[in-house]
Amino acid sequence: MIEAVPPAFIFILGAFLIPLLKGKLKQVYLLVVPTVAFLDILYLNPDMSWIYHFLGYELVFCRVDRLSLVIGYIFTIIGFLAILYSLHTKEDGQHIAAFLYVGSSLGVVFAGDYFSLFAFWEIMAVASVFLIWYQKDKESLNAGFRYILMHIFGGCCLLVGIIIYIGSSGSIGVDRLEPGIAYWLILAGFGLNTAFIPIHTWLPDGYPESTITGGVFLSVFTTKTGVYVLARCFAGADFVAYMGGIMAVYGVIFALLQNDARKLLSYHIVSQVGYMVAGVGVGTALGVNGGIAHVFNHILYKALLFMCMGSVIYMTGRRKLTELGGLARYMPVTCIACVIAALSISGAPGFNGFVSKGMVISSAVEVHKPILELMLILASVGTFLSFVKLCYFTFFAENPEIKSKEPPRNMQLAMGLTAFLCVFIGVYPQALFDVLPFYPVHYHPFTLSHVIGVIQLFMLAGVVFMLAKDMFAPHRATILDFDYFYRMGGRGLIWVCVAPLSRFRFRLQLSSSRAVDIIVHLAKNPMMIFEIPAAYIYLRITRGLRYVSGYSSAEMYNENLYRRPIGVGVLVAIILLFAFALIHFIF
Amino acid sequence: MKRIFKKLFLILAVLCIPAGFFIEHEHVVFLWHKMPSVEVVFGALGAFLLILATRVLAFFALKKEDFYD
Repeated sequence: MIEAVPPAFIFILGAFLIPLLKGKLKQVYLLVVPTVAFLDILYLNPDMSWIYHFLGYELVFCRVDRLSLVIGYIFTIIGFLAILYSLHTKEDGQHIAAFLYVGSSLGVVFAGDYFSLFAFWEIMAVASVFLIWYQKDKESLNAGFRYILMHIFGGCCLLVGIIIYIGSSGSIGVDRLEPGIAYWLILAGFGLNTAFIPIHTWLPDGYPESTITGGVFLSVFTTKTGVYVLARCFAGADFVAYMGGIMAVYGVIFALLQNDARKLLSYHIVSQVGYMVAGVGVGTALGVNGGIAHVFNHILYKALLFMCMGSVIYMTGRRKLTELGGLARYMPVTCIACVIAALSISGAPGFNGFVSKGMVISSAVEVHKPILELMLILASVGTFLSFVKLCYFTFFAENPEIKSKEPPRNMQLAMGLTAFLCVFIGVYPQALFDVLPFYPVHYHPFTLSHVIGVIQLFMLAGVVFMLAKDMFAPHRATILDFDYFYRMGGRGLIWVCVAPLSRFRFRLQLSSSRAVDIIVHLAKNPMMIFEIPAAYIYLRITRGLRYVSGYSSAEMYNENLYRRPIGVGVLVAIILLFAFALIHFIF
Repeated sequence: MKRIFKKLFLILAVLCIPAGFFIEHEHVVFLWHKMPSVEVVFGALGAFLLILATRVLAFFALKKEDFYD
């Protein structure tokens, strides 16, 4: 019997074989690896741990419980679908980066100690940035640098927090944390990956600049590993719950103003992750189950949305809503998949988002947090409006200039399978409930009041959209976010370094050189120490200071010049020695 | 076709409003859970609030596409 291995290693080691394969064999291999990883996870059981001893600590590479298993399942499923979607990509580097990204995400999920968690966390950051850089244009290079800088900052916060935690507790196990300095630093590190406001801007900045296929991977792993670790360490924290509510509303407000389709989707990642974070922050069984269920469902419909918009961009070369429109007749498969994803993310009955959103909102009611409930309902309205806008201006608005056709078969197949899963879970949520952390799940999504309530919410929001369609129309503009402060601050810092600081450095260097020059001259002829003040005063009056620093040794050391008797020097030395001795004996 | 769709949508929207009067919320915790068809109010009010929020945000933060260039 072959023992199951940590699934992270399957992807990470599998990445190194990609360059050795070509053609159809490579494509088959790319699909086999996530399949093997999924089967491997099915064979994992809580008795396995893969423990290694390092510097007196136990590194746990395979912590198996219901929470890590459910995330492992969806990561490998979406890994398969995303790789299927990207099968036509010729660059091996993109596939390698994707494999390392997926593998390291699985590594974080199954890590049982902070050392291995941190190692996989950083591999995730580095691997993911290549999915942006492979777009190979100026914007993506710059966005990738900003992305990696922010993640380095988050990683540093996390590392310092981990060190302080280990120093104070002596333990490296990943478990619930108690408030303290380590708590807040680790929360900041996890929160950056989860896109807490205001350290979220790497997401809408970097994701739209990624490659078409890279965007599908990026939409899934970074933020959801953040939610996973929050569920491990910060479940039940009020700050986390309300941060989730803020993220949910903040994301939809910014999304409503976007013209770039993938930027709109990126802000919706912030919003939807807000639901997950809110559920985790509530901390009850329903809350955590709702948050993790929303992780599962969001991965499916968000990946599907990125696949659909990626297909549109791939086939039309356009990414802005002001340049799109009328694609429904040319790309019907993509259009239907996008509508399914839009209904899923909005939480329409019969689609997977309806189930998990209802759980999160109900959990807020359960713990008597009315403001949180209202924020999440407001975000639902905004989500529906955003996706009516996205679908309308991409597929249904008139645009006689644009013509297109469906994307390659592998992309269509990936979209079809993902859409099927969105509907399947929406219609049969028990399949999801059976794998959630707290089992059994005491929640019934298809109550009459819930179904009719959601329909009413969307109907009236839709009426407002129809009446005020111009207000939702996209415009050719950009919306400044919190990154304005550090991008402008960064430019200011660079200006300070290049201009005033550099001038100061130059002046300091010049003054130091002059001072050294004078000391050298003095060392050659110490008697000058009496002549320099006199000469200085004289020269300031007559010819200026340049004469003093311009003293040449040749001019100074003229053997025909009169010199004081050597006894004067000896006398000065004796006087100085007497003064030192006096000071020494008195004090 | 579009006009028919729009009319149909408006009729359905109007018809769904009284539906809330015939059902009860399972978990009545806050005041608004007692109000029938409160989701109608949330839908309309929420949409207006979001329009207002986007207008306010656009006033302060809407810039040209090449702002950072």
